Amino acid sequence: MPSKFTYNEEALENLRIEDASILDRLIDDESFREGNLKKHRGKIDKRITLQEAVSKYVSDGDIVADTGFSYVRTPMQVFFEILRQKKKDLQFIGSPNTNQSYVAWSGCSKYSHNSYIGAEMRGTDRNYSRMVKDGRVKVLSEWSHGSMGLGFKAAQYGAPHIACKQLLGSEMLKYNPYVKLSRDPWSNEPVVLVSALHPDVVFIHCQQADRFGNAKISGPAVNDIALAYACRKVIITCEEVVPELLMRFDTKDTCIPFMIVDAVVELPFGCLPGCCPGNYYWSREWWEWLMRIGLKSDESIGDFLNYWVYNTTDQFSFIEKLIKDLGGLEYLHNLKRLEKAEEYLIEDIGVDFSYEPVIPITE
Amino acid sequence: MSTPANPFEQLAYNISLQIMDGQIVYVGTGLPMVGAMLAKKTHAPNITLVYESGGQDPWEGPMPWSVGGAATFRRAPMTMEMAHSFAMAANGFVDIAFQGAAQIDMYGNLNTHFIGGGFWDFRSRLTGSGGGNDLSSLSENVILVGLQDPSKFPAKLEFLTSPGHLTGGNSRREAGLLGNGPVACVTQIGVMDFEPETKWMRIKGLNPGMTPEIAQACTGFELKVSEQIEHIPAPSDDILQVLREVVDPHGIFITFPPRVR
Repeated sequence: MPSKFTYNEEALENLRIEDASILDRLIDDESFREGNLKKHRGKIDKRITLQEAVSKYVSDGDIVADTGFSYVRTPMQVFFEILRQKKKDLQFIGSPNTNQSYVAWSGCSKYSHNSYIGAEMRGTDRNYSRMVKDGRVKVLSEWSHGSMGLGFKAAQYGAPHIACKQLLGSEMLKYNPYVKLSRDPWSNEPVVLVSALHPDVVFIHCQQADRFGNAKISGPAVNDIALAYACRKVIITCEEVVPELLMRFDTKDTCIPFMIVDAVVELPFGCLPGCCPGNYYWSREWWEWLMRIGLKSDESIGDFLNYWVYNTTDQFSFIEKLIKDLGGLEYLHNLKRLEKAEEYLIEDIGVDFSYEPVIPITE
Repeated sequence: MSTPANPFEQLAYNISLQIMDGQIVYVGTGLPMVGAMLAKKTHAPNITLVYESGGQDPWEGPMPWSVGGAATFRRAPMTMEMAHSFAMAANGFVDIAFQGAAQIDMYGNLNTHFIGGGFWDFRSRLTGSGGGNDLSSLSENVILVGLQDPSKFPAKLEFLTSPGHLTGGNSRREAGLLGNGPVACVTQIGVMDFEPETKWMRIKGLNPGMTPEIAQACTGFELKVSEQIEHIPAPSDDILQVLREVVDPHGIFITFPPRVR
């Protein structure tokens, strides 16, 4: 299929992209606008269940945005549901894009637009490395956090592209079809042009939303305000649904307006096993299990997902499994206590942040 | 008397010495965070910490585990977004940014993409750029941090993720990049800087017990040597006490050999 846009030829060659039409949708401003013109204008109750939201709004082949920050306010339960519903051939985009690794298993997601994969000090992601190496995941574009973030910002602000000083001199320029080396028309200095980016679907976890989709984020917004405006289908998942009047009388932290939102999912504990600012800490044990055991081999990631995803039905059955061996409800309560104490919303003197690895280090 | 500093503690101390009071410092997880906190608790109490996910100026508290975690926005007067946090660097509000990498070359260019081959036949794919390229491209001063050995300090990178001085001389400025680029490289051996004209890495100071020969043996390219090599002191007992009891009391980052892998 002929591609609609002119891409950086060197990048297409380096990335071995033969059919460049696969790249088009991410930067198609025109169809993005047309889609938005058809969105429902009215203030209607948009609440649906997570199962309905994933079934209705995630289509095979969609470009899905990873949100939050790896495991901070990232709706991990949404990714688990995407796996359960066995979606196929998804493209993933994110800065960071940490959660694509396990979602990529079994062909659920095959393409990457990456700035970062991994979990910081928890180490590099052997599963993702393996899948890229044997071609089960194909990288379609290489990014830095900031340049991708500017692509989302350009989309938010309705600009076709944005010029920046990132990526100059980097080999990523040769591995990204969506950026172009250019010159500032006024100063004639080198700049990199980053196209506005429009992923197909985004799930953004918010602490509070009303039933129409007005939503509040506390803690770092990361790229999520930009993504809410940049993406074609926008689903808010939230810890709690609050009355519209609360949104009108307390506007603090409100950053997503109802008209751009397609659906609202009340999803308490939706970020577990990641953390949700103001609410709960991440499960350090789960992440240790994932990084050190789960991602080790094809077999181990399969077993891991069978246990944690395919044999759970929702966040509550996941939590039941999680707390079973970790101390029951007290563990869950401690996650709340740790998060609030670290944010200093509650007294932190006497709260123990220490963590001992649960897997003996034998390597 | 405290036990002598282990290599990570010496490294954290050397990192802290790179920071001057009053600066705005952009930190990632790991040892740079430890060094920055140590600086704040000792000679540089008025520094402001900025994090890529949007946290800035958090109230002091426990060591952050993640650059998006609660300690990065703990009671912060305001918390921003990722695009804003890099805009701060582009607009001249980041004095120092710390960077680690799988590979560092003689011009301070960094690879965080893959090792052991090319784009298609690597041995191991790594994290990618994250905010590394942004900080390298935009911050006023970049300080590189790493454990020095010939494979991590090769003459040729397998991929250039984040720009240092590119091919040396004026090439960084000619490419249109902002700031001074890398001004120092802090390792378990000591502190390197870059020759003013050529921008080639050279030994500036050595940790206790280290020699230029050891430094060279740990490097995959020819290291230049400053006319006057400084002898970096070991951290004093007072500083070690702050490091071990206040900054990283659980030894998350400064335990040697490392605990979390």
